[in-house]
Amino acid sequence: MARVRARTNDWRGYLFISPAVLLFLIFIAGPFVAAIVLSFYHWDLLTPAVFSGTDNFRALFSDPLLWKVMGTTFLFAFASVVTHIIGGLLLALAVNRAMNKVLSYLVRTAIFFPFIISWAAVALIWKYVLDPTFGLVTYYLAEIGITSPQWFTDPHWALVGIIGIDFWHTIGFTFIIMLAGLQTVPKTLIEAARTDGANSRQVFFNVTLPLMSPTIFFATVITFIGAFQIFEPMQIISNGGPDDSTMSIVMYLYQTGFQSFQIGYACAMALLVFLVIMSVTLLQFIGARKWVYEE
Amino acid sequence: MKRDPSFTSTAAGVAGNAFNRRQMLRVLGAAATLPLLSGLAACSGTSTAAGPVATTSSGAAATGGAAGATAVGGATTSSTASGSLSFVYYGDANQQAQFKSLFAEFNKINPAITLQAQGIASASWATFSNTVATRIAGGQIPDIIQIATEGQRIFASKGLLEPLDPYIARDKALVDNYYADIDPNLKAWTTKYGSTDGKTYYMPGGYNTVCMYLNTEILAKAGATVPTGDWSWDDFKAAAQQVKDKTGAFMLPVGSGYFTDVMPWLTTNGAATFNADWNVPTFNTAAAVEAVTFAKSLIDAGLAPKPGGAFDAATNMSNGKLAGLAGGRWPTIDMRRLKIVDKVQIVKWPKKIADGSPVGWDAWPITKASKNKDAAWEFIKFLISKPAGDYFATIGGTIVPARLSVAKSASFTTNAPKGSGLLSDAIAYATPIPSPDRGAEIQKTIEDAWLKVISGNGDAQSTLEAANTKLKTLL
Repeated sequence: MARVRARTNDWRGYLFISPAVLLFLIFIAGPFVAAIVLSFYHWDLLTPAVFSGTDNFRALFSDPLLWKVMGTTFLFAFASVVTHIIGGLLLALAVNRAMNKVLSYLVRTAIFFPFIISWAAVALIWKYVLDPTFGLVTYYLAEIGITSPQWFTDPHWALVGIIGIDFWHTIGFTFIIMLAGLQTVPKTLIEAARTDGANSRQVFFNVTLPLMSPTIFFATVITFIGAFQIFEPMQIISNGGPDDSTMSIVMYLYQTGFQSFQIGYACAMALLVFLVIMSVTLLQFIGARKWVYEE
Repeated sequence: MKRDPSFTSTAAGVAGNAFNRRQMLRVLGAAATLPLLSGLAACSGTSTAAGPVATTSSGAAATGGAAGATAVGGATTSSTASGSLSFVYYGDANQQAQFKSLFAEFNKINPAITLQAQGIASASWATFSNTVATRIAGGQIPDIIQIATEGQRIFASKGLLEPLDPYIARDKALVDNYYADIDPNLKAWTTKYGSTDGKTYYMPGGYNTVCMYLNTEILAKAGATVPTGDWSWDDFKAAAQQVKDKTGAFMLPVGSGYFTDVMPWLTTNGAATFNADWNVPTFNTAAAVEAVTFAKSLIDAGLAPKPGGAFDAATNMSNGKLAGLAGGRWPTIDMRRLKIVDKVQIVKWPKKIADGSPVGWDAWPITKASKNKDAAWEFIKFLISKPAGDYFATIGGTIVPARLSVAKSASFTTNAPKGSGLLSDAIAYATPIPSPDRGAEIQKTIEDAWLKVISGNGDAQSTLEAANTKLKTLL
C-alpha cells in the first residue's frame, strides 16, 4: 500500500514539474540542439540548407572580425564586471550606513530606477546628452574649457561611452544584490570585532568583505554573463561602429545570421560564445574556492 | 538580453530553503549560464520553426482564375476574386495610419477580399528586407510584399516570387496604361535589377529621389537667395556661410545615411558607390573622395552640426536653427506636422559636375507560395490605379507617386512645399541606389567609412579605399 502511494506521489511530482520541463525543452533544449545541427549546414533562410560538414567551424578561425569583436566583448565584460562590482559595493555601503529610512528608500529607488528603463529609451536619452553639438555634457565640458570627445564617432571613445552608459543603466541591479548581501551580514560579528578593538577598515576587510564574498561572487558571475551577451546599446547607439570598435560578439552573431543570412555560421559562432562563457564561468567557480568564504 | 531582473525575484524566492544562502548564491550563479542557451535559441528559433523554406510551385495558378473587371483608365472595379490576402509593407506608426486609409479604399471596391496588411517599422529598407526574409524562413509567407530597390534583386533571385507576365498579359490594357503614365526609367530599372531570368516579378510603384528642403525665412534673413534652378557646391557653401554668419543657423545636417547623405554628394559629382550593374564597387574614385572631402569641409567650417548625435533636423528647421535638410517626399509630412510648409521650398541638390540624386522605388511582387494569387493581383492592380495614387498622395503618402499624372497633379502638390515637382523631375537624372544582394552589410560598410571621414577619424582616400576593398568581398 505504501509502495503504491509512493508511486502515485512520484507521478504527481513529475506532473508538477512538467510545465517547466516542457518550456525548457521547447525554448532551451530544442533550439540548442537545432543550433548544433544547423552549425553543420550552409543556410541563407530563403533556400534549402546544404550540409557543409565542419566548414562553419573552420571559418571561425579565419575570420579576423570575429576575433576583433571577441576582444572587444572581453574588454567590455571586464570593464563591466570591475565597475559594477566596485561601484555596486560602494553604493551599497553608502546606502547601508545610518541614513534615515526615507532618504535610504529614495536613494535606493533613484539608483535602481535606470535599470527599469528600456535600452531604446536609454540610448535616445544618452545620444541627446552626449550630442557633440547640443549635448549637455558637451556644453558643460566646454564651459570648463574641455573639448568633448566625439563619443560615438571616434573609435577610441565609443566603447568608453557605451561602458559608461551601461554602467548608469545597470548598476542598480548589482547595487541591490550587494545591498541585500550587506544586510545579511550578522551585526553580532561586527559588534564582536569592534569590541575586540577593530577599527572600521579592519571590520570591513576582515568581517564584512569575507561574509560578502558569496554575494560578490554571485554578482561577478551574473555580471560577466550579462556583459558578454551585451547587444542593445551597441546596436541602437553606435550600430557596432565606428570601425567595428563597439561591435559585440552577440551583435556580430546577429548580423551574420540575420543580415548576412549565414545561419549556419552564426550557429557555430553561438556555440563558440556558449563555450567561452561556460569556460569563464567554470574558471570563476574554480577560482572562488580560494576567496569565497564558506560558512 | 542583458541582466534578467527575474534573477532578483528568484534569489528572494529561494532564500528560505534548505540550502544556506551561500550555497544558493552559487547555485544561482551556475544557473545563470542557462540564458546562453536562450541565445542559441534566438539563433535557431527561426530555423526550427519552419526549417528551410518550402518553395511550393504553383505556376499554373497564374494562368487560371478570374480577372477583375478593369477600366483602362486605371480605376479598378469590383472583381470576382475573394478570400484572405496578406500584405507586408514598410512603415512606422504614422505611415501605417496612411496605408490603412488606402487599404480601406481597396476594401470598398473589393469587399469579398479580406486584406490583412501588416506594416513593419524598420530603420532602413535593407533591414526591412531582412525582416521579411526572416519571417518567410519562419513560415510567415505573405501573398504580396512591398519591396524597395534594396531587396528586389535578392528576392527575385531566390525563387520566391511568382512571374507576373501571365497576369500582365491578362490585364494588358490596364498595365499598358500604367506604364505609359510612369517614367520609362522605372520600368527599365525594375526589369534590370529585379529580374534575374527575363521574367517579370515586380510591378514598380512609387519612388523617392533626394532634393533639398530650404527654410526660405532663414535664407532671407541671411540675405541669401533661394536658387531657382541649378546651383553649384560653391554657391551652396557661400549661402551656408552667409546663413551661419547672419543667423547662426546650420545650413544642412551632414551625416552618413546611404540614401540621403552619401549618394547625393556622390551623384552630383558624377560618382556612385557601384557601377551601373552593381558588380564593381566604385567607392574609391577621385570623385568619391572629393565628394566626401567636401561634405567634411561643411562640418569643419561649422556649417553643419557634428555627426554622431541626436540632431532632429525637422524640428531644428522649424526652430530657425537649421536652413536645409535632405529628403524625398517624406519630409513634407514633417513640414505639415510642424506647420511650416509655406516657409519651405524644395530645390535641386547643388552640383559639382552634374545633376544628381539617388532613387529608390517600391515594387510589388506576388509570392510563389501565395494561395490567393488572383486576389493578390487585384490588389496590385488597385495599387497601380490612378484613383489609388491620387488618394494616397492626398492623404499624405511618403513617396512620389509613380504615375506622372498624379505626381504633377494638385493631389501631390497641394499642401506641399513649393518646388515639390522637382522630386519627380529628379528621376530623369537619378541613379538607382546600388543594392547588391548583401544590401545591409554593404550599406553599413559605406556608411561607416563615410562617417569615419566626415568625423575626422580617417583620411578620405585611404578610408574609401579600404571600404571599397571590403565591398568587393561582399559581392
